Amino acid sequence: MIQVEHLGKSFHDYQRGWVEAVRDVSFECRPGEIFGLLGPNGAGKTTTLRILSTILRPTAGRAVVAGYDVVEHPEEVRRRIGFMSAGTGIYDRMTAWELVEYFGRLYGLPKARLRERMETVFGWLKMDDFRDVLGSKMSTGMKQKVSIARTIVHDPPVLIFDEPTSGLDILVQRVVLDKILELRDLGKTIVFSTHSMSEVQRLCSRVAIIYRGALQAQGPIDELLASHGQPDVEELFFALVERADALARADSDADVDASPARAGGPTP
Amino acid sequence: MNWSNILLIFRREGMDQLRDRRTLFMVVFFPILLYPLIGAGVLQFAAAIQERPRLVVIVGAEHLPKAPPLLDAEGKGLNPDLFDSAAEAARLEVALQPDDGPWGEPARREQAVRNGDASAVLVVPADLPEQFRAKGDVAIPIHYKSVDETSQVTYLRLREALDRWKRGIVEERRKQDNLPAGYAQPIEVKALDAATAQEVGGNVWGRIFPFLLVLMSLTGAFYPAVDLCAGEKERGTMETLLISPAGRAEIVMGKFLAVLVASVTTAVLNLISMGVTGLQLAQRASGFGGADPARQAAAALAPPTLQSALWMIVLLIPLAAFFSAICLALAAMARSMKEGQYYMTPLYLICLPLIFLTMAPGIELNPFYSIVPVTGVALLLRALIVGDYATAFRYFPLVLIPTLVYAWLALRWAVEQFQDEEALFRESERFSLGSWVRSLIRDRGPRPTSTQAVLAFAVIITASWLFAQATLATGSVGGLGSVAAGQSLILLVPLGMAFLLTTDPLGTLRLRRADARYFALAAAMAVTLNPVVAELSRLVQWVFPVSGATQEVLKSLMFGDLGLLPTILVLAVLPAICEETAFRGFILTGLQSGRRTRSAIVLSALLFGFLHVFLSLFQQLFNATLLGVFLGLLAIRSRSLWPGVLFHALNNGFAVGMAAWVAWLSRIGAANLVYLDPKEGVYQKPWVAAGAVASAMLFAYLWKHDRPGPDSGET
Repeated sequence: MIQVEHLGKSFHDYQRGWVEAVRDVSFECRPGEIFGLLGPNGAGKTTTLRILSTILRPTAGRAVVAGYDVVEHPEEVRRRIGFMSAGTGIYDRMTAWELVEYFGRLYGLPKARLRERMETVFGWLKMDDFRDVLGSKMSTGMKQKVSIARTIVHDPPVLIFDEPTSGLDILVQRVVLDKILELRDLGKTIVFSTHSMSEVQRLCSRVAIIYRGALQAQGPIDELLASHGQPDVEELFFALVERADALARADSDADVDASPARAGGPTP
Repeated sequence: MNWSNILLIFRREGMDQLRDRRTLFMVVFFPILLYPLIGAGVLQFAAAIQERPRLVVIVGAEHLPKAPPLLDAEGKGLNPDLFDSAAEAARLEVALQPDDGPWGEPARREQAVRNGDASAVLVVPADLPEQFRAKGDVAIPIHYKSVDETSQVTYLRLREALDRWKRGIVEERRKQDNLPAGYAQPIEVKALDAATAQEVGGNVWGRIFPFLLVLMSLTGAFYPAVDLCAGEKERGTMETLLISPAGRAEIVMGKFLAVLVASVTTAVLNLISMGVTGLQLAQRASGFGGADPARQAAAALAPPTLQSALWMIVLLIPLAAFFSAICLALAAMARSMKEGQYYMTPLYLICLPLIFLTMAPGIELNPFYSIVPVTGVALLLRALIVGDYATAFRYFPLVLIPTLVYAWLALRWAVEQFQDEEALFRESERFSLGSWVRSLIRDRGPRPTSTQAVLAFAVIITASWLFAQATLATGSVGGLGSVAAGQSLILLVPLGMAFLLTTDPLGTLRLRRADARYFALAAAMAVTLNPVVAELSRLVQWVFPVSGATQEVLKSLMFGDLGLLPTILVLAVLPAICEETAFRGFILTGLQSGRRTRSAIVLSALLFGFLHVFLSLFQQLFNATLLGVFLGLLAIRSRSLWPGVLFHALNNGFAVGMAAWVAWLSRIGAANLVYLDPKEGVYQKPWVAAGAVASAMLFAYLWKHDRPGPDSGET
């Protein structure tokens, strides 16, 4: 359902020149599976997921989501995914009901079907008591529920969650994670990024560890632990990070002339 | 484009704005409150002028004759018969001073008026009685201070009263001499003001309110635009919308419509509030009598007619669309509301002088002003308010169409901003000039960016302007030398920038060999386009005549007979090389990055047109832009600068060598076959038609059948 092949993205910045935020990332995610993208802040998780949601264009490689290429058919991709991240807030001056209805209509749901979906989703997320509360008056937990409702109102086959639990208290965190597990059981294809090891262990069947813009390892958690000889995800993570840092240092020592920051601009 | 998405987004954004108190205040309440406040202020101000006492000091009143009386019975005021009403007479207080006292000194009297001790001082000369008896001429000096409003008004009243008094004296003398009535006053001048009440009123509105209306529609667009773009980024809802199935163009259109409605609403509410205030003032005015200043002020504020108002709304919509799109594009760049506000200052700084023109005396709507953004609309609004419908309707399409075009271009820019990842997801980074310059050189690519292309244009314009000022200052205007120097400036900028900022300067400037057929095509195009260009420039001069003064200046710049060869080298070949390197070399190449060929050609042609506006005449805009389109396509298809240079040199060469060519044609007796007017270079119509068809076909051939293969690197 999601196929990512050799994906790359370079940005330009005055201080460092061309920076490769994502480099040669490949993975696959199938229906009924939660694929975890584990990495620290700035590792390239958000950039990768933004490319999958079509709001950024890749500078290398390709990605196919729900059967459509993200560069060639971005509208078709957006129609079939639900995307939630720290950057997708909710409107202050709209009530929960209005907001979910608005996005449902943008997804082109017919009125009767939208109404039915909304009743289902509001019931499922237990949002009925704040249907008519404005975004500005909601608690963080309420906002997060509205965001989830917005993400799934059109019943998309693919769901992308970019650190959906960051900044939440443990109660809300638990609700969010439970709901994502329920969505998996409904057969959705789910990509989930986080920097929390425990979340990965709880949710994901397969995981990729991303650091310095590149995937350091990927596979089912048990296999990864076994093949790297590490007792748990945390140890595995730090082992991979140290290895990547050592490699980068060796690289920059090897050729001092070739500035490591200048990874090469996008092909014209 | 999916219109149901656009409408959905529009409705949501509109509702969002209605729920926002700040926007609501700026868009709705501010205009409703503003005009009654202005109206009340005007009345208060007028009343204040009226309240101030006006003291008239009469020096030497003892010399006044008994009949006709200048003063009233008690000698404490002026004779009420000399005024429209007794109340008016009472407004002038009178103090009498003997002429042998200190007031006899002119210096003392002047001092009094200057210090404001008296509004006016009237001096009755000591020989008045004798002169009166001898029926001689008498001069009565009045001291006043014209820059002081009160003193000025007092002086005018006093003169009016003295005129009537003088008539009394003449009447007295006529009676004494038994002459018929009208003997001594054979001619009486009557002032007939041709202005209608609407015009008198409109004049005040006409100066102030186009200014306010335009400013209000800009303000009405700005706040919602910043809120709907920068505000959404700040609140973290922009990405939510971007990941919905709505396309970027649909999102921009939806937001644009919401901003447009806010802007038009602001402007219309201003119009209504202005009208209602005007009506009220006019009604209050009918309660006053005579030449009351408050009444005059109120009459001057009579509202525009309903017809004017309707036309104004028709006109405000495209203007509001232009502002909305520009604000949206600017706001899309801003990361936060605060940053959005920063962009407001330059926007206002550019718009204000354009609107201020309506306040300047002597600026009338003409074809040139009508196509200047904002100014055209403001001047047309003024004509409508004043009730000058003849002018207004003549220029209506000439203002409306360019404004619509500007609005469309601005909207395209806004869509481009929304498709630009850098504009949408810009993160703040610390700016340092050094590292920016270093990064420009370190990270240069094979081709320049759009921004660098526009920067090159700005540098060319600035350098050329400075150079022109310098030659003016040193008095070395004209001459082939200064033209050559000016042209080499145009060449230096793209050369320097291409070598500094790109890794492939030769490719950037298209300094490659071209296929021979492109040279043939270029020559054919130059020849077939020539009659069209000549006809177009005749049409342009007919619509936008070159003023006499400008023609004089141009004539003075004409070159003496320097021989054909040097003239052709400097006026045809050199500009061809220099301008092509700049516009089809660096600038077009830069504009091509990330843009369709079509847009790049049109944009570069427009910049080429503007260069000619800056360097010579506004009238050249049209021709230069047309040529720029042909040259742009030629450069892109041939992938070389040289066919364009040939085209450009031929085109300029025709103009330079025209006299020689016509002389030759005349010798073989063919001048009249080609030209309708050989002197002015006006072609016979069939030649123009044939040229237009042929050049269009050549253009179409290049455009359609000569697309390069995918491997050539052109997109």
